[in-house]
Amino acid sequence: MRLILRRIVGQLGFDAVEAEDGQAALDLLRSSEEVPDLALIDWNMPRMNGLELVGAIRADSHLRHMTLVMVTTEGEQSQIVRALAAGAHEYVIKPFTAGAMVEKLALLGLVPSGVQA
Amino acid sequence: MTLSAANFSFISRLVRREASIVLEPGKEYLVEGRLLALARKAGAAGVDEFLAGLQARPDMATTRLVVDALTTNETSWFRDREPFNALTEVVLPDLIATRTNSRVVRVWSAACSSGQETYSLAMLLQDHLPAGWQYEILATDISHEMIERARNGQYSQVEMNRGLPAQLLIRHFERVGPTWQVAPALRRSITFQQVNLDGPLPTATPFDVVYLRNVLIYFDVETKRAVLRNVSRMMRPDGWLFLGAAETTIGVDDRFDRVPTGRTAAYRFRSAVPAGAFGKG
Amino acid sequence: MTVHLAPTIEDLSEIAEQVWSSYLDPEGEAPLFPVGPPDPDAVVHGDVCASVSISGAWHGHIVVSCSAVAARYAAAALLQMEVGEVMPDDITDALGELANVVGGNVKSTLPSVCTMSLPHVVVGSGVTNGWPLTVPVCELVANWRDELVVLRVLRSKSDLAGTTDQ
Repeated sequence: MRLILRRIVGQLGFDAVEAEDGQAALDLLRSSEEVPDLALIDWNMPRMNGLELVGAIRADSHLRHMTLVMVTTEGEQSQIVRALAAGAHEYVIKPFTAGAMVEKLALLGLVPSGVQA
Repeated sequence: MTLSAANFSFISRLVRREASIVLEPGKEYLVEGRLLALARKAGAAGVDEFLAGLQARPDMATTRLVVDALTTNETSWFRDREPFNALTEVVLPDLIATRTNSRVVRVWSAACSSGQETYSLAMLLQDHLPAGWQYEILATDISHEMIERARNGQYSQVEMNRGLPAQLLIRHFERVGPTWQVAPALRRSITFQQVNLDGPLPTATPFDVVYLRNVLIYFDVETKRAVLRNVSRMMRPDGWLFLGAAETTIGVDDRFDRVPTGRTAAYRFRSAVPAGAFGKG
Repeated sequence: MTVHLAPTIEDLSEIAEQVWSSYLDPEGEAPLFPVGPPDPDAVVHGDVCASVSISGAWHGHIVVSCSAVAARYAAAALLQMEVGEVMPDDITDALGELANVVGGNVKSTLPSVCTMSLPHVVVGSGVTNGWPLTVPVCELVANWRDELVVLRVLRSKSDLAGTTDQ
């Protein structure tokens, strides 16, 4: 999945870094000189799940400005509510097409105008 | 069981014209698979017979269903975005200032298809009209099947991913198995009706805003004129008309002026546009 | 009001269609063709078998199985590589993700919020996979690129003991 997302955002002009679980992601973000603009976060991850990661990022003053998009199979209404309440900006339920992902990023103002999937 | 070359060619031309989709040879499988259910429903033995029938007796409603079956999952919420941004940024403020007596906004979604445009409009009206204001939406389509689908308001997960902000998803929809369905509150002020734009239109109180998007392309010039004439009779003198991205009234109906509206354009009656108000006139 | 056993075959078919058209066949060139009827007594076999388990208010498994050939096609499509470039790890990743996405969507059809495990993928020709103490809820047998693909939803027998839903 990370490979697919990497390709999609790569085509939009983004550089991507990856992490395998929530704790690794948080460590990576905290030690980065350049904080990423966007994080695509799955829910089900070992060590720290996506919901917890969203909360941790939003609670950190250096990371709070990041745009957070959950990309996950967890599609129950209550879970989407929880994710948005925790501070996620957008939510993509799998399966998704590349076009749909680009549209979601466009909604967040992250896609240069005129770019198509 | 493969599609005849003539039928494949007919279909390719149709979807290229109606939806700008290119179907290369080798995609006969796709057409067969997607149209089989429609063909059976129409009583044909197979897709070849069904398409032969459609060519012999062209019929708009069926054509719409065929194009829809081949472009499934392409329709998105708030399609092209700007005509919807224009509603909240330009049109609604204007109507709020001018409709102070009635405090009702009437919108016609005139080619509502499976309903995404209609419910997108409803979401915006619901969320952006001030307290004490109401809205009424008439949603029409030539296809009975589309109207039923729109009325039902149930969409697949894949359709829901297309252009719908998550906040609106949780606010206006409920999960039903693997699909999502429009919440009752959103349906409340919408009336669905099957209507042929080329025929006699139902009598109705004139509309403030009309969305007539991506349906004029189905018609020849004469019919376009008739449709625009019909539509114009259903509009308030200072009403707003939104067409599809590649469509225009210019050269077809000189009753309307093309008026820059937000980051897109709307069409308004020439008589209603004061010079320099919303654009260069 | 009738109580139906979720998910239904219609749910499963719809989920499969969406997963295939989003991930494995976005151009619509190689759709998934359901073939039937399913054989409830057939032991699931196939060269590659990926599954997730569900627990909580509902216990069971969702299983995606197919031939080695189909698995290579799936990995190639999902990971955007040539079929010839596909490595064993890619197959595990790809089929695991398919089970994950199908399973997650099936989970959304269940009456209460449940939890889903990480996927488990088994590769080996002639291996038979069985889940004892389960009953099949629904099964989709399909043809994809002339290969057989099977999606199954299995529910734990202990869920159903002493209940009246059928």
